[in-house]
Amino acid sequence: MASIARPMLLRQAAAASRLSAAPAGPSLLLKNSARVAAFHATSRRNILPPLPQKVEGGVNDPVPVPPPSPSHGSYHWTFERLVGASLVPLTLTPFAAGSLNPAMDAVLMGLIVIHSHLGLQNIIIDYLPKKRTPKSRKAAMWGLNVATALVALGLYEFETTDVGVTEAIKRVWHA
Amino acid sequence: MASLRSTTSRILGSSRPSLRFASTQVRGFASNLSDGGKASQHASEDKAPRMKAFQIYRWNPENPTEKPKMQTYTLDLNKTGPMVLDALIRVKNEIDPTLTFRRSCREGICGSCAMNINGTNTLACLCRIPAEDNADMKIYPLPHTYVVKDLVPDLTLFYKQYKSIKPYLQRDTPSPDGKEYRQSKADRRKLDGLYECILCACCSTSCPSYWWNSEEYLGPAILLQSYRWLADSRDERHEERKHALNNEMSLYRCHTILNCTRTCPKGLNPGLAIAEIKKELAFSG
Repeated sequence: MASIARPMLLRQAAAASRLSAAPAGPSLLLKNSARVAAFHATSRRNILPPLPQKVEGGVNDPVPVPPPSPSHGSYHWTFERLVGASLVPLTLTPFAAGSLNPAMDAVLMGLIVIHSHLGLQNIIIDYLPKKRTPKSRKAAMWGLNVATALVALGLYEFETTDVGVTEAIKRVWHA
Repeated sequence: MASLRSTTSRILGSSRPSLRFASTQVRGFASNLSDGGKASQHASEDKAPRMKAFQIYRWNPENPTEKPKMQTYTLDLNKTGPMVLDALIRVKNEIDPTLTFRRSCREGICGSCAMNINGTNTLACLCRIPAEDNADMKIYPLPHTYVVKDLVPDLTLFYKQYKSIKPYLQRDTPSPDGKEYRQSKADRRKLDGLYECILCACCSTSCPSYWWNSEEYLGPAILLQSYRWLADSRDERHEERKHALNNEMSLYRCHTILNCTRTCPKGLNPGLAIAEIKKELAFSG
Protein backbone atom coordinates (compact mmCIF):
# COMPACT_ATOMS: atom_id res chain seq x y z
CA MET A 1 0.00 0.00 0.00
CA ALA A 2 2.71 2.40 1.03
CA SER A 3 4.75 1.65 -2.06
CA ILE A 4 1.73 2.52 -4.21
CA ALA A 5 1.28 5.78 -2.36
CA ARG A 6 4.96 6.75 -2.50
CA PRO A 7 5.26 7.93 -6.14
CA MET A 8 2.05 9.89 -5.67
CA LEU A 9 3.46 11.63 -2.59
CA LEU A 10 6.66 12.40 -4.46
CA ARG A 11 4.76 13.83 -7.40
CA GLN A 12 2.70 16.03 -5.08
CA ALA A 13 5.81 17.28 -3.35
CA ALA A 14 7.56 17.96 -6.65
CA ALA A 15 4.53 19.77 -8.08
CA ALA A 16 4.20 21.85 -4.93
CA SER A 17 7.85 22.88 -5.02
CA ARG A 18 7.48 23.83 -8.69
CA LEU A 19 4.49 26.01 -7.85
CA SER A 20 6.21 27.73 -4.98
CA ALA A 21 9.46 28.22 -6.87
CA ALA A 22 8.35 31.65 -8.14
CA PRO A 23 7.97 33.47 -4.80
CA ALA A 24 11.28 31.87 -3.72
CA GLY A 25 11.82 31.19 -0.06
CA PRO A 26 9.47 28.86 1.82
CA SER A 27 10.28 25.80 -0.31
CA LEU A 28 12.62 24.33 2.31
CA LEU A 29 9.75 22.59 4.07
CA LEU A 30 8.52 21.15 0.80
CA LYS A 31 11.97 19.99 -0.18
CA ASN A 32 12.16 18.20 3.14
CA SER A 33 8.80 16.58 2.60
CA ALA A 34 10.01 15.27 -0.75
CA ARG A 35 13.05 13.77 0.93
CA VAL A 36 10.96 12.20 3.66
CA ALA A 37 8.56 10.74 1.14
CA ALA A 38 11.46 9.20 -0.76
CA PHE A 39 13.09 7.89 2.39
CA HIS A 40 10.18 6.10 4.02
CA ALA A 41 9.46 2.91 2.16
CA THR A 42 6.49 2.12 4.40
CA SER A 43 3.92 4.27 6.12
CA ARG A 44 4.79 5.40 9.61
CA ARG A 45 1.71 3.90 11.18
CA ASN A 46 2.49 1.55 14.03
CA ILE A 47 0.41 -1.52 13.40
CA LEU A 48 1.27 -3.49 16.53
CA PRO A 49 3.46 -1.21 18.65
CA PRO A 50 5.54 -3.05 21.26
CA LEU A 51 4.03 -3.27 24.70
CA PRO A 52 6.00 -2.39 27.83
CA GLN A 53 8.25 -5.24 28.85
CA LYS A 54 6.60 -7.80 31.09
CA VAL A 55 8.53 -10.72 32.56
CA GLU A 56 6.18 -13.61 33.25
CA GLY A 57 7.12 -15.50 36.39
CA GLY A 58 10.45 -14.82 38.03
CA VAL A 59 13.48 -13.62 36.16
CA ASN A 60 15.20 -16.94 36.78
CA ASP A 61 12.22 -19.18 36.00
CA PRO A 62 12.17 -20.97 32.65
CA VAL A 63 9.39 -20.04 30.24
CA PRO A 64 6.56 -22.61 30.43
CA VAL A 65 6.85 -25.51 27.98
CA PRO A 66 3.59 -25.97 26.02
CA PRO A 67 1.97 -29.43 26.09
CA PRO A 68 2.98 -31.65 23.16
CA SER A 69 0.48 -31.80 20.29
CA PRO A 70 1.83 -33.59 17.22
CA SER A 71 -1.28 -32.74 15.21
CA HIS A 72 -0.23 -29.08 15.37
CA GLY A 73 3.48 -29.91 15.36
CA SER A 74 5.27 -32.73 13.62
CA TYR A 75 2.31 -34.40 11.85
CA HIS A 76 1.11 -31.04 10.63
CA TRP A 77 4.55 -30.16 9.31
CA THR A 78 5.02 -33.52 7.58
CA PHE A 79 1.56 -33.32 6.00
CA GLU A 80 2.34 -29.80 4.77
CA ARG A 81 5.59 -30.98 3.13
CA LEU A 82 3.96 -34.03 1.55
CA VAL A 83 1.17 -31.91 0.05
CA GLY A 84 3.72 -29.38 -1.21
CA ALA A 85 5.99 -32.02 -2.71
CA SER A 86 3.18 -33.94 -4.41
CA LEU A 87 1.91 -30.73 -6.01
CA VAL A 88 5.08 -30.44 -8.11
CA PRO A 89 4.50 -33.49 -10.36
CA LEU A 90 0.74 -32.93 -10.34
CA THR A 91 1.16 -29.41 -11.69
CA LEU A 92 3.79 -30.39 -14.24
CA THR A 93 2.07 -33.45 -15.71
CA PRO A 94 -0.87 -31.60 -17.34
CA PHE A 95 1.65 -29.25 -18.96
CA ALA A 96 3.54 -32.14 -20.46
CA ALA A 97 0.73 -34.50 -21.31
CA GLY A 98 -2.37 -32.32 -21.41
CA SER A 99 -5.39 -32.90 -19.19
CA LEU A 100 -5.30 -36.61 -18.53
CA ASN A 101 -8.50 -37.42 -16.67
CA PRO A 102 -10.97 -35.70 -14.37
CA ALA A 103 -9.79 -37.71 -11.34
CA MET A 104 -6.28 -36.29 -11.52
CA ASP A 105 -7.68 -32.83 -12.06
CA ALA A 106 -9.80 -33.22 -8.93
CA VAL A 107 -6.82 -34.42 -6.90
CA LEU A 108 -4.76 -31.46 -8.08
CA MET A 109 -7.49 -28.99 -7.16
CA GLY A 110 -8.06 -30.61 -3.78
CA LEU A 111 -4.37 -30.42 -2.94
CA ILE A 112 -4.11 -26.79 -4.08
CA VAL A 113 -7.00 -25.87 -1.79
CA ILE A 114 -5.37 -27.67 1.16
CA HIS A 115 -1.95 -26.21 0.37
CA SER A 116 -3.19 -22.63 0.23
CA HIS A 117 -5.30 -23.14 3.35
CA LEU A 118 -2.26 -24.33 5.35
CA GLY A 119 -0.09 -21.53 3.96
CA LEU A 120 -2.56 -18.82 4.86
CA GLN A 121 -3.03 -20.39 8.28
CA ASN A 122 0.72 -19.98 8.84
CA ILE A 123 0.52 -16.31 7.89
CA ILE A 124 -2.33 -15.72 10.35
CA ILE A 125 -0.43 -17.49 13.15
CA ASP A 126 2.66 -15.36 12.46
CA TYR A 127 1.04 -11.98 12.12
CA LEU A 128 -1.87 -12.23 14.55
CA PRO A 129 -0.36 -13.53 17.79
CA LYS A 130 -2.91 -15.14 20.09
CA LYS A 131 -1.66 -13.14 23.06
CA ARG A 132 -1.87 -9.72 21.42
CA THR A 133 -4.89 -10.04 19.15
CA PRO A 134 -7.07 -12.98 20.25
CA LYS A 135 -10.25 -11.66 18.59
CA SER A 136 -8.73 -10.74 15.23
CA ARG A 137 -6.95 -14.09 15.25
CA LYS A 138 -10.19 -15.96 15.72
CA ALA A 139 -11.99 -13.85 13.14
CA ALA A 140 -9.20 -14.34 10.59
CA MET A 141 -9.13 -18.08 11.15
CA TRP A 142 -12.89 -18.37 10.65
CA GLY A 143 -12.71 -16.08 7.65
CA LEU A 144 -10.10 -18.36 6.16
CA ASN A 145 -12.21 -21.43 6.87
CA VAL A 146 -15.21 -19.88 5.15
CA ALA A 147 -13.10 -18.77 2.18
CA THR A 148 -11.56 -22.23 1.81
CA ALA A 149 -14.98 -23.88 1.97
CA LEU A 150 -16.32 -21.50 -0.70
CA VAL A 151 -13.34 -22.09 -2.98
CA ALA A 152 -13.64 -25.84 -2.52
CA LEU A 153 -17.36 -25.70 -3.33
CA GLY A 154 -16.76 -23.55 -6.39
CA LEU A 155 -14.05 -25.85 -7.68
CA TYR A 156 -16.26 -28.88 -7.04
CA GLU A 157 -19.03 -27.32 -9.10
CA PHE A 158 -16.58 -26.39 -11.85
CA GLU A 159 -15.05 -29.84 -11.94
CA THR A 160 -18.34 -31.77 -11.89
CA THR A 161 -20.59 -29.64 -14.11
CA ASP A 162 -18.04 -27.91 -16.36
CA VAL A 163 -14.79 -28.81 -18.14
CA GLY A 164 -12.39 -28.73 -15.17
CA VAL A 165 -9.59 -26.33 -14.38
CA THR A 166 -6.73 -27.76 -16.47
CA GLU A 167 -8.96 -27.91 -19.54
CA ALA A 168 -10.18 -24.36 -18.87
CA ILE A 169 -6.61 -23.05 -18.64
CA LYS A 170 -5.79 -24.85 -21.86
CA ARG A 171 -8.72 -23.26 -23.64
CA VAL A 172 -7.88 -19.78 -22.36
CA TRP A 173 -4.28 -20.32 -23.43
CA HIS A 174 -5.26 -21.27 -26.97
CA ALA A 175 -8.04 -18.71 -27.23
CA MET B 1 33.08 -28.84 12.55
CA ALA B 2 32.51 -30.27 9.13
CA SER B 3 28.86 -31.10 8.94
CA LEU B 4 27.20 -27.99 10.30
CA ARG B 5 29.43 -25.34 8.81
CA SER B 6 28.61 -23.77 5.48
CA THR B 7 31.11 -24.29 2.68
CA THR B 8 32.03 -20.63 2.45
CA SER B 9 32.83 -20.32 6.12
CA ARG B 10 34.91 -23.46 5.88
CA ILE B 11 36.87 -22.03 2.96
CA LEU B 12 37.26 -18.56 4.42
CA GLY B 13 38.01 -19.46 7.98
CA SER B 14 40.46 -22.02 9.17
CA SER B 15 38.93 -25.06 10.80
CA ARG B 16 40.02 -23.82 14.18
CA PRO B 17 38.46 -20.44 14.93
CA SER B 18 40.72 -19.81 17.91
CA LEU B 19 43.76 -19.65 15.64
CA ARG B 20 42.11 -17.11 13.44
CA PHE B 21 41.24 -14.86 16.35
CA ALA B 22 44.70 -15.12 17.78
CA SER B 23 46.34 -13.97 14.56
CA THR B 24 44.14 -10.88 14.18
CA GLN B 25 44.68 -10.02 17.80
CA VAL B 26 48.42 -10.18 17.45
CA ARG B 27 48.27 -7.91 14.45
CA GLY B 28 46.08 -5.48 16.33
CA PHE B 29 48.55 -5.22 19.15
CA ALA B 30 51.54 -5.03 16.85
CA SER B 31 50.28 -1.95 15.11
CA ASN B 32 49.15 -0.16 18.25
CA LEU B 33 50.71 -1.19 21.47
CA SER B 34 53.65 -3.50 21.38
CA ASP B 35 55.97 -1.51 19.17
CA GLY B 36 56.35 1.11 21.85
CA GLY B 37 55.43 4.78 22.20
CA LYS B 38 58.16 6.18 20.00
CA ALA B 39 57.51 4.02 16.98
CA SER B 40 53.75 4.50 17.03
CA GLN B 41 54.14 8.25 17.53
CA HIS B 42 56.45 8.34 14.58
CA ALA B 43 53.97 6.39 12.50
CA SER B 44 51.07 8.65 13.40
CA GLU B 45 53.13 11.73 12.51
CA ASP B 46 53.91 10.24 9.14
CA LYS B 47 50.40 9.27 8.23
CA ALA B 48 47.62 11.71 7.59
CA PRO B 49 44.86 11.25 10.17
CA ARG B 50 42.18 8.86 8.97
CA MET B 51 39.04 10.17 10.57
CA LYS B 52 36.02 7.91 10.83
CA ALA B 53 32.62 8.83 12.25
CA PHE B 54 30.69 6.37 14.40
CA GLN B 55 26.98 6.96 14.86
CA ILE B 56 25.94 5.27 18.06
CA TYR B 57 22.44 4.71 19.44
CA ARG B 58 21.96 6.50 22.73
CA TRP B 59 19.13 6.16 25.20
CA ASN B 60 19.28 6.85 28.90
CA PRO B 61 16.73 5.16 31.19
CA GLU B 62 17.09 8.03 33.66
CA ASN B 63 15.38 10.32 31.15
CA PRO B 64 12.76 7.90 29.84
CA THR B 65 10.70 10.63 28.12
CA GLU B 66 13.63 11.67 25.95
CA LYS B 67 13.63 9.97 22.59
CA PRO B 68 16.54 7.72 21.67
CA LYS B 69 19.03 9.51 19.42
CA MET B 70 22.09 8.81 17.32
CA GLN B 71 25.24 10.44 18.60
CA THR B 72 28.25 10.82 16.33
CA TYR B 73 31.80 10.33 17.54
CA THR B 74 34.80 10.86 15.29
CA LEU B 75 38.00 8.91 15.81
CA ASP B 76 41.37 8.80 14.10
CA LEU B 77 41.77 5.25 12.87
CA ASN B 78 45.57 5.49 13.09
CA LYS B 79 45.26 5.60 16.86
CA THR B 80 42.48 3.03 17.13
CA GLY B 81 42.61 -0.75 17.09
CA PRO B 82 41.24 -2.60 14.08
CA MET B 83 37.94 -3.78 15.56
CA VAL B 84 34.72 -1.92 16.30
CA LEU B 85 35.05 -2.84 19.97
CA ASP B 86 38.41 -1.03 20.09
CA ALA B 87 36.70 2.06 18.74
CA LEU B 88 33.89 1.79 21.31
CA ILE B 89 36.33 1.38 24.17
CA ARG B 90 38.29 4.36 22.93
CA VAL B 91 35.14 6.47 22.74
CA LYS B 92 34.26 5.48 26.29
CA ASN B 93 37.78 6.11 27.60
CA GLU B 94 38.57 9.33 25.83
CA ILE B 95 35.44 11.07 24.57
CA ASP B 96 32.28 10.10 26.42
CA PRO B 97 32.39 7.98 29.59
CA THR B 98 28.58 7.79 29.68
CA LEU B 99 28.47 5.52 26.60
CA THR B 100 27.28 2.12 27.80
CA PHE B 101 27.90 -1.29 26.24
CA ARG B 102 28.72 -4.82 27.37
CA ARG B 103 32.10 -6.31 26.66
CA SER B 104 34.40 -8.78 28.26
CA CYS B 105 36.77 -11.09 26.43
CA ARG B 106 37.42 -9.03 23.24
CA GLU B 107 38.08 -12.24 21.28
CA GLY B 108 34.67 -13.64 20.36
CA ILE B 109 34.37 -16.15 23.18
CA CYS B 110 32.01 -14.51 25.67
CA GLY B 111 29.32 -13.08 23.38
CA SER B 112 28.83 -9.95 25.48
CA CYS B 113 29.43 -7.35 22.77
CA ALA B 114 26.71 -8.53 20.38
CA MET B 115 25.20 -5.51 18.64
CA ASN B 116 23.87 -4.36 15.31
CA ILE B 117 26.74 -2.85 13.32
CA ASN B 118 25.97 -1.35 9.90
CA GLY B 119 22.74 -3.32 9.78
CA THR B 120 24.18 -6.72 10.71
CA ASN B 121 24.05 -8.39 14.07
CA THR B 122 27.58 -9.30 15.03
CA LEU B 123 30.12 -9.20 17.82
CA ALA B 124 31.84 -5.83 18.00
CA CYS B 125 35.11 -7.58 18.86
CA LEU B 126 35.06 -9.68 15.68
CA CYS B 127 33.91 -6.90 13.36
CA ARG B 128 36.63 -4.97 11.58
CA ILE B 129 36.28 -1.26 10.97
CA PRO B 130 36.23 -1.05 7.16
CA ALA B 131 39.25 1.16 6.51
CA GLU B 132 38.72 1.87 2.85
CA ASP B 133 35.22 3.33 2.87
CA ASN B 134 34.53 6.68 4.48
CA ALA B 135 30.87 6.15 5.30
CA ASP B 136 29.80 6.54 8.92
CA MET B 137 29.47 3.33 10.92
CA LYS B 138 26.06 2.92 12.48
CA ILE B 139 25.89 0.99 15.72
CA TYR B 140 22.61 -0.03 17.30
CA PRO B 141 21.67 -2.48 20.07
CA LEU B 142 20.35 -5.88 18.95
CA PRO B 143 17.07 -5.33 17.07
CA HIS B 144 13.68 -6.02 18.67
CA THR B 145 15.04 -6.21 22.18
CA TYR B 146 14.09 -4.07 25.13
CA VAL B 147 16.98 -1.67 25.64
CA VAL B 148 18.41 -1.27 29.13
CA LYS B 149 20.71 1.58 28.17
CA ASP B 150 22.48 2.65 24.97
CA LEU B 151 23.82 -0.58 23.42
CA VAL B 152 22.78 -2.90 26.25
CA PRO B 153 19.79 -5.10 25.39
CA ASP B 154 17.65 -6.93 27.93
CA LEU B 155 18.09 -10.66 27.34
CA THR B 156 15.89 -11.91 30.20
CA LEU B 157 13.44 -13.70 27.91
CA PHE B 158 16.30 -15.24 25.92
CA TYR B 159 17.82 -16.75 29.08
CA LYS B 160 14.44 -17.87 30.38
CA GLN B 161 13.89 -19.69 27.10
CA TYR B 162 17.35 -21.21 27.31
CA LYS B 163 16.54 -22.52 30.76
CA SER B 164 13.29 -24.07 29.51
CA ILE B 165 15.12 -26.52 27.21
CA LYS B 166 17.09 -27.96 30.16
CA PRO B 167 20.56 -27.36 28.74
CA TYR B 168 22.36 -30.01 30.74
CA LEU B 169 23.07 -33.74 30.59
CA GLN B 170 20.11 -35.78 31.82
CA ARG B 171 20.88 -39.40 32.66
CA ASP B 172 19.48 -42.11 34.89
CA THR B 173 21.98 -44.93 34.36
CA PRO B 174 25.41 -44.53 35.90
CA SER B 175 28.43 -45.09 33.69
CA PRO B 176 29.56 -48.76 33.59
CA ASP B 177 32.97 -48.16 35.20
CA GLY B 178 31.86 -45.42 37.57
CA LYS B 179 34.02 -42.86 35.78
CA GLU B 180 32.97 -40.16 33.33
CA TYR B 181 30.39 -40.80 30.60
CA ARG B 182 32.37 -41.72 27.52
CA GLN B 183 31.37 -41.42 23.90
CA SER B 184 32.90 -42.57 20.65
CA LYS B 185 34.80 -40.19 18.40
CA ALA B 186 32.00 -40.39 15.84
CA ASP B 187 29.43 -39.40 18.47
CA ARG B 188 31.61 -36.57 19.64
CA ARG B 189 31.94 -35.32 16.09
CA LYS B 190 28.14 -34.86 15.95
CA LEU B 191 28.48 -32.04 18.47
CA ASP B 192 30.95 -30.07 16.36
CA GLY B 193 29.32 -26.93 15.02
CA LEU B 194 26.88 -27.01 17.97
CA TYR B 195 28.97 -26.75 21.11
CA GLU B 196 30.79 -23.64 19.83
CA CYS B 197 27.65 -21.52 20.23
CA ILE B 198 28.28 -18.75 22.76
CA LEU B 199 24.64 -17.61 23.09
CA CYS B 200 25.32 -14.07 21.96
CA ALA B 201 21.71 -13.83 20.66
CA CYS B 202 22.81 -12.41 17.29
CA CYS B 203 20.86 -15.08 15.39
CA SER B 204 17.69 -14.99 17.45
CA THR B 205 17.39 -11.22 17.22
CA SER B 206 17.94 -11.31 13.46
CA CYS B 207 15.06 -13.76 12.91
CA PRO B 208 11.83 -12.07 11.73
CA SER B 209 9.80 -14.96 13.07
CA TYR B 210 11.38 -14.39 16.48
CA TRP B 211 10.58 -10.67 16.22
CA TRP B 212 6.91 -11.49 15.69
CA ASN B 213 6.47 -14.32 18.20
CA SER B 214 9.35 -14.18 20.64
CA GLU B 215 7.06 -15.05 23.59
CA GLU B 216 6.31 -18.51 22.22
CA TYR B 217 8.82 -19.29 19.45
CA LEU B 218 12.18 -20.31 20.91
CA GLY B 219 14.36 -18.78 18.22
CA PRO B 220 17.42 -20.14 16.39
CA ALA B 221 19.97 -19.89 19.22
CA ILE B 222 17.85 -21.86 21.66
CA LEU B 223 16.86 -24.41 19.01
CA LEU B 224 20.52 -24.92 18.10
CA GLN B 225 21.14 -25.65 21.78
CA SER B 226 18.13 -27.99 21.84
CA TYR B 227 19.67 -29.91 18.99
CA ARG B 228 23.02 -29.92 20.75
CA TRP B 229 21.36 -31.94 23.56
CA LEU B 230 19.28 -34.03 21.18
CA ALA B 231 22.41 -35.00 19.28
CA ASP B 232 24.38 -35.88 22.41
CA SER B 233 24.83 -39.65 22.65
CA ARG B 234 25.18 -39.47 26.45
CA ASP B 235 21.82 -37.82 27.05
CA GLU B 236 18.94 -40.17 27.92
CA ARG B 237 15.95 -37.82 27.74
CA HIS B 238 15.74 -37.85 23.98
CA GLU B 239 11.99 -38.40 23.83
CA GLU B 240 11.12 -35.80 26.46
CA ARG B 241 13.24 -33.23 24.66
CA LYS B 242 11.45 -33.99 21.41
CA HIS B 243 8.02 -33.80 23.03
CA ALA B 244 8.83 -30.40 24.47
CA LEU B 245 9.35 -29.03 20.94
CA ASN B 246 6.45 -30.86 19.30
CA ASN B 247 3.85 -28.10 19.27
CA GLU B 248 2.66 -25.30 17.06
CA MET B 249 4.90 -22.52 18.32
CA SER B 250 8.17 -23.64 19.91
CA LEU B 251 9.87 -25.07 16.82
CA TYR B 252 7.58 -24.77 13.81
CA ARG B 253 7.55 -20.99 13.62
CA CYS B 254 10.87 -21.41 11.82
CA HIS B 255 10.22 -20.66 8.15
CA THR B 256 13.83 -21.24 7.03
CA ILE B 257 14.46 -17.54 6.50
CA LEU B 258 18.11 -18.32 7.36
CA ASN B 259 19.00 -14.86 8.67
CA CYS B 260 20.42 -16.81 11.62
CA THR B 261 23.00 -18.63 9.53
CA ARG B 262 23.92 -15.52 7.62
CA THR B 263 24.51 -13.43 10.73
CA CYS B 264 26.23 -15.92 13.09
CA PRO B 265 29.55 -14.31 14.08
CA LYS B 266 30.98 -17.74 14.92
CA GLY B 267 30.17 -19.18 11.49
CA LEU B 268 27.73 -21.77 12.84
CA ASN B 269 24.57 -22.89 11.11
CA PRO B 270 21.47 -22.72 13.34
CA GLY B 271 19.25 -23.14 10.26
CA LEU B 272 20.70 -26.57 9.60
CA ALA B 273 20.36 -27.57 13.25
CA ILE B 274 16.66 -26.61 13.17
CA ALA B 275 16.22 -28.59 9.95
CA GLU B 276 17.80 -31.61 11.68
CA ILE B 277 15.32 -31.31 14.57
CA LYS B 278 12.42 -31.10 12.11
CA LYS B 279 13.74 -34.16 10.31
CA GLU B 280 13.99 -36.11 13.55
CA LEU B 281 10.49 -35.08 14.54
CA ALA B 282 8.97 -35.56 11.08
CA PHE B 283 7.34 -38.95 11.61
CA SER B 284 7.34 -39.19 15.39
CA GLY B 285 4.29 -38.46 17.49
